[in-house]
Amino acid sequence: MRKKVVGFITVMLAATTIISACSNSGGNNGNSNTGGDPTADSSTGSGSGKKVKLTAIMTKHPLTKPLKDMEWLQQVEEKAGVEIEWQEITADWDQKKGTMLASGDVPDLFIGPNVITDADMAQFQGLFQDLSGMLDQAPNVVAMFDAKPETKKIAEQPDGKIYGLPKYQRFWPSTATRQYINQKWLDNLGLSMPTTWDELYDVLVAFKEQDANGNGDPNDEIPMDWPGGIGGYFNAAYLLSGTGMTLTDGSPQGYFVEDGVVKNYLVDERYKSLVVFLNKLYKAGLINPEVFTHDYTKYQSVARGEGDTAKVGFTMGWVASDRFGEQLAPQYTSMSPLKAAADSTVSWSYDYNSLNYGVNQIVMSAKSKNKDAVMRFINELYAPDMGMQVLFGSLGPNIKDNGDGSYSVLPPADSKMDPGTWKWTSTMADNGAFYIPDSLQLTLGKDMQEVLEQSKPIDAITIDVDHDVFPSFLKYSSADNSTMGLNNTNVMNLANTNFAKWVTKGGIEGEWDSYVKESEKAGLKQNLEIMQKYYDEYKQQ
Amino acid sequence: MRLRGGARVFKRDYQLWIMIAPAIAAVLIFNYIPMYGIQLSFRDFDFSKGLTGGAWRGLDYFRQFIDSYLFTDLMRNTFLISLATIIVGFPAPIILALILNQIRRKRMKNLMQTTVYLPHFISIIVLVGMMNVLMSPETGVIGYMMKGLGLGHINLIASTNTFIPVYVLSDIWQHCGWNSIIYLAALSTVDPQLYDSAKIDGASRLKMIRYVDMPALVPTIIILFILSMGNILSTGFEKIFLMQNSLNLPVSEVIATYVYKIGIISNQFSYASAIGLFNTLINFVFLFAMNTVSKKMSNTSLY
Amino acid sequence: MALKGLGGKELAFNIALFTLCAVIFLIILYPLYFIVIASFSDSTLVSTGKVLLFPKGASLFGYKEIFQDSRVWIGYRNTLFYTLFGTLVNMLFTMPAAYVLSRKEFKARRPIMFLFVITMFFNGGLIPTYLLMKDLHITNTFWVFILPFCVNIFYLIIARTFFETALPAELYEAAVMDGCSHFMYFAKVAMPLSKALISVIGLYYLVGHWNDFFTGLIYIRDNNLQPLQIVLRDILLSNQVFQNGAGTGGGAASGGYAQRYADQIKYGVIIVSSLPILMLYPFLQKYFEKGVMIGSVKG
Repeated sequence: MRKKVVGFITVMLAATTIISACSNSGGNNGNSNTGGDPTADSSTGSGSGKKVKLTAIMTKHPLTKPLKDMEWLQQVEEKAGVEIEWQEITADWDQKKGTMLASGDVPDLFIGPNVITDADMAQFQGLFQDLSGMLDQAPNVVAMFDAKPETKKIAEQPDGKIYGLPKYQRFWPSTATRQYINQKWLDNLGLSMPTTWDELYDVLVAFKEQDANGNGDPNDEIPMDWPGGIGGYFNAAYLLSGTGMTLTDGSPQGYFVEDGVVKNYLVDERYKSLVVFLNKLYKAGLINPEVFTHDYTKYQSVARGEGDTAKVGFTMGWVASDRFGEQLAPQYTSMSPLKAAADSTVSWSYDYNSLNYGVNQIVMSAKSKNKDAVMRFINELYAPDMGMQVLFGSLGPNIKDNGDGSYSVLPPADSKMDPGTWKWTSTMADNGAFYIPDSLQLTLGKDMQEVLEQSKPIDAITIDVDHDVFPSFLKYSSADNSTMGLNNTNVMNLANTNFAKWVTKGGIEGEWDSYVKESEKAGLKQNLEIMQKYYDEYKQQ
Repeated sequence: MRLRGGARVFKRDYQLWIMIAPAIAAVLIFNYIPMYGIQLSFRDFDFSKGLTGGAWRGLDYFRQFIDSYLFTDLMRNTFLISLATIIVGFPAPIILALILNQIRRKRMKNLMQTTVYLPHFISIIVLVGMMNVLMSPETGVIGYMMKGLGLGHINLIASTNTFIPVYVLSDIWQHCGWNSIIYLAALSTVDPQLYDSAKIDGASRLKMIRYVDMPALVPTIIILFILSMGNILSTGFEKIFLMQNSLNLPVSEVIATYVYKIGIISNQFSYASAIGLFNTLINFVFLFAMNTVSKKMSNTSLY
Repeated sequence: MALKGLGGKELAFNIALFTLCAVIFLIILYPLYFIVIASFSDSTLVSTGKVLLFPKGASLFGYKEIFQDSRVWIGYRNTLFYTLFGTLVNMLFTMPAAYVLSRKEFKARRPIMFLFVITMFFNGGLIPTYLLMKDLHITNTFWVFILPFCVNIFYLIIARTFFETALPAELYEAAVMDGCSHFMYFAKVAMPLSKALISVIGLYYLVGHWNDFFTGLIYIRDNNLQPLQIVLRDILLSNQVFQNGAGTGGGAASGGYAQRYADQIKYGVIIVSSLPILMLYPFLQKYFEKGVMIGSVKG
């Protein structure tokens, strides 16, 4: 009999597990569908006593504290009469997103930097709510559109529908990248600030050979460093500005505009001369030998030197205190762009749009059962006095009300923390959806003030935004998006490989022409045509 | 009790069917029901029409992949890395198991066993980060050692020549111990009398390994080898992605990283699905071939 | 009785063995040791290679951050549950099936095995699987960690091979003559003799559950259900913000800051996540003992 019992038990176990799984829907099943309280009257205003339950996803920075601990957020939910169950995602959003959208299993609301891209919206028709008809419920958003028409342009699809709302944070500088040189080393060696590429070369040689940091070891200086590869913020490509080229948003894939024509520097003669220059530096040992292999951690650590002894001479970064640490920051000066040759005109990268505006920061699901409640929440979120709190933290612990209509951002409560980290741990920060009106009087924290201060050499340059800048938030069709994406993968593969090879080993002269042909074949030509088409259409609006 | 032959067989067989029923059910439900998704490789993904409603594209996406700019590079890189992993990585755990099995002193054996399987648990992100630190030519321990050996000009993490050796050897470092567990378990079932009789016949330790240990491992080795053939065109994604940099890109761009890169841009489900199917088809063909060969040459085979 | 003149060879063998083991031991050990001391050291010093043999700039910051985070404790609790329960289910499904497939008299064994092997290569993709889970109502529940893919075909094959080779046919014949059914033979003879196999496969499944982060990533929304690996992966990944170029959309102002804090935690994370499993293996080693079948089969 026992033999049968064992077998029987096995079968029953299997059966029961499967059956209980099917019937367990009541138990642990979270609010994977739009959790709405069907009895709540969603058309009444806020504070009607019964709160509407909503579900939302927010893609936040990993070190940000739990959303339920953010005071301003509780207030916003309170005012809108909603109670939100947040799912806070700090990593792998791209992997989760695909499955979630394809299966239609979405919450009421999404918040995050480009949390749902235009490509997603094009591909998943009908999944997201068109907000253009509901703006009467969100006067604060309308106010933003009126005060800053760019925000409306960013939000509108070509057919006038609005699926995602942007943010506007107003205080950010016109570029993410500032160029720094160690002033103390210049002074130690009696050198003057370089203004051209050739002068830079001489200064870097001096850094290397003359024990610039004065610690007795002539070999521990790294004259020049950058995160690696080609393209993106803080990259050596910014030196191209010395040829008069204006980059946009750091031109991570090489695209820029000149006199209304869309170009790519990866196949431009000026890039060739930059590579030749960098190769010259590399051969002379003036560039960090690990430039193409170090990861970001190492890159930052090296710049922090040892105690009072700095290691890096010339590099780029967001702000000195972040790039070099508080202790060494005073040694560095922010520089004006370097001219390629003595008679060049200079420019820089225009990052204003991508730094101050954000696209699709908040998106509503079309399947939500509480759209009015969601709109109320959105409206409260975009209130003029809320924006600064979303960005910097709540009134009280993070921002002080000066009593006269102006506000100040407070230093971190934890004195060991820098203001940037403090901002990111306290609140949604740049990942949130908000509007900071130009009329707001807010004294910024120490870090932002440093950024603005150190941006002065760059601000002095005039950039022709109308003809030399590529619009940051163009909306492409789904097919064009796919094509460009595939092409860019190929082109960047080619670019990175060759850039690294030419800088470290040289040889660009003989290979340049075939490289240009290869790049165009790999899809660069096709992308330029597509982008030019969209640019021209945009210009005609 | 004594039933006729056929009925007795059937009576016993039904017990077997019951015992295997849960597994069959699980596989049918979780593996076979979703299989309809494979046709996404042959269709467009049209959200509004559901997974099976998109326009039929036949072999278009496969053609797109084969014609694509990076196709030869991807295939070559993926193949070389997988092949190297198998050739070097397959024997290593076997050898390690044989070595560890020879340790007579129990404490030492336990210590060695526990130590060698520890690296398996290190998350790949930490591993690659650690590799970058240790192998850095300027500041890493291994970097120092290379300089000491006069090989200081070779940058282990930057050269196209060293990418595969570093990848494979670090793989072995991390997983050899863990992979040897199965072989050690097989060795533990060897009847000690066999060793005794071998000793009486005058066999040295090495001979004992050859004539007692190895035969005990052969069935396991064959099966695991056939299975590893099923990975002839597979590399992990994460480790390669983390180890990639501009200097080793010509050899480190593989199918998995390529699919990731096109995927995050624009949700190209069908294209990615087609590439995946193409990949697994090749793997499966190899496995099938190897299994057939093994069936002919020995008694052991997968199915 | 004394053996013929093997003294010298035996000694040489042992010396070679010892040396080999020592080398292997050090090669494996140093990087592990490095991780331990790095978790106690200042991250800047670690990245610039100043930490070699001893912790420098010692700080418990990393550990403090990890343990203060309540998510880590919830993660531990969840992982323990999923791992134990999941492994149990795995073994219940896999072992009998492997036994069945090892019986030569079972006619259907080759076709069934083929069907199983196919699933190792071909699967429908993430989206259909997700839809299935949704229809079964197990998304966002703990069942999604236990039931799906509860039979790993690779381990099934290993177990089957083991049964085929380690269980002599004579044993079964003898049992049958005593009126033993498959159930009984399996439970009373095969299992006890397969302690090594159970330990190994059990350990493989266990570790598979312990390290699994993908399931929680895709199918779970509720933070209270997330396993440890998700929590730790969040912490680790904040380090990778700039991996592929800072130009990827709005990263500038976010990644630079707070980088150092993530770095401090990086090495501590791995120790926190691996420690329980590492404690386990020594207990299982005794099942790998030799000679489990002494005297069971004559000639």
